[in-house]
Amino acid sequence: MPQTLRVIYSAFRMAMLHWMADPQWVIPNVIAPFVFTFIALTLFKEASGSFGLYAVLGGGMMGMWGNTLYSSGFAIEFEKWQGTLEEIVATPSDLLHIIAGRSISNALFGLTNMIAILLIAALVFRVPLGVASPILFAFAIVLTLLSVSALGLIFASAFVLTRYAQVFTNGLEFPIYVISGSMFPIALLPFWVHPAAYVLGPTWGIEAIRMAASQPNTPEKFWLYIGVMLLITFIYVGMAAFLFKKVETKSRRDGTLVQA
Amino acid sequence: MSILGSLRIFASSAVFSFRAQFGWLYPPMWLTMKLIMSLSQMAFFVFVGQFLVSTNNASTSIIAYIAIGNAVQALSWNTVFSVINITSHDKWDGTLPLLLATPAHRLPLFSGRAMMHVFDGMVSVAISFAYAVFLFGVNLGNADILALIVVVFLTALTMSGFGLLIGGFAFYFRNPLVFANIFTFILLIFCGVNFPVQSLPQPLQFISYIFPLTYGVDAARQAIAGATLSAIAPLLSQMVVVGFISIILGYSFFRSFEHIARKTGNIEAV
Repeated sequence: MPQTLRVIYSAFRMAMLHWMADPQWVIPNVIAPFVFTFIALTLFKEASGSFGLYAVLGGGMMGMWGNTLYSSGFAIEFEKWQGTLEEIVATPSDLLHIIAGRSISNALFGLTNMIAILLIAALVFRVPLGVASPILFAFAIVLTLLSVSALGLIFASAFVLTRYAQVFTNGLEFPIYVISGSMFPIALLPFWVHPAAYVLGPTWGIEAIRMAASQPNTPEKFWLYIGVMLLITFIYVGMAAFLFKKVETKSRRDGTLVQA
Repeated sequence: MSILGSLRIFASSAVFSFRAQFGWLYPPMWLTMKLIMSLSQMAFFVFVGQFLVSTNNASTSIIAYIAIGNAVQALSWNTVFSVINITSHDKWDGTLPLLLATPAHRLPLFSGRAMMHVFDGMVSVAISFAYAVFLFGVNLGNADILALIVVVFLTALTMSGFGLLIGGFAFYFRNPLVFANIFTFILLIFCGVNFPVQSLPQPLQFISYIFPLTYGVDAARQAIAGATLSAIAPLLSQMVVVGFISIILGYSFFRSFEHIARKTGNIEAV
């Protein structure tokens, strides 16, 4: 196995083992999406139209985002608490690859959140979950998951430098639920929020997911949304690689890794 | 123990438990929770409401309904989340054995822990109401402001009692933080914050009335509509009774688990 993949796999495996050792830690970052979906479904109960789809897919999206942001923030914070961050940075492996392995692992848990929300919506709220284009739906979800993970990588790189990672983790969760229009069209947001919405990969991802779920014939817009999301995701990965290198160099030079 | 001694323990417990939270909840995070989380939570549900309004599935009054509910619920972050987390941090920071070794009377020690969070919660509500009025157009023109202030104070006080109850219960578990998250969020479902309690399935409606916040949100809406203090007094009385029972139950849990912890020698790992 190439070295990079081996590092990513090892980080992925360690994150899985940590989760299995203390699974209750997943509760804090999945409770909000479940509760928000429940509330939206209750509010939409009497409404006519595709509101159930908005609530359920939005809730799933929020589950992915909550998990990824949590993993990005706390991946670094936990290393600081346990005193292992210096060792990880000192290894010859690239920090980006280690964090990427963890992000993929957490994104995978995020996917399970989404599936759990879909199941609860179908079984408890009897929301019809017929998906018009199942293959495109799965395709859009996987790409959105990767886009969310890539966004998490950018945050993780910044979190290395700060001791306030927890602040950002808590502070960014809800605003992104709002800005990405996870449960309502972003057209409802004030116009000055729109640019922030458009630079978020998940904004395009959730639109593509909704489209694949509700429209049997794939419109051109689906591929446009997927294309824009992919472009944004590549930019995220490039930015994350650049930031990790900068942050790592700065931390080594200043000797302020743990005190940051 | 003298009344003066109890008051001293109560006051020092209130101040230290509030100051201690800044060991983990850094001032920027505290401010973040106050300014950003209350706004984004309110905005999220208001936009969900606007989605319904824009498709003619609800009247515009739903916006004020949601904004007011979320403004009052903002105090839960202080009176429930932070209060439950006092137990978490006593465990993480290794201060629990020291606390239990003190000869201080447990009732003022236990109840004092939540008191500063009552006032902190009131500040959160004030900030949230500013958002509700200036960003989401909630009209406080008819409000009985005195009644509203009393409602917010009593809701914060009784909800801190609820926080102590869950904190006392969570004492027995390794990670009370998990309870803090669960109980802060489920209030959004049960307490009539975003939709009337009557929208819940019948068996769940019964659960709603074990939370003081349910009475508080209802009373706040009435006060904003112009109801006087005497008009909402029955609702407030029910809330105070529920809050008082919460404190007594929480104290019983605290004492019971303290006893178990001493007996088994597992103070921090119970």
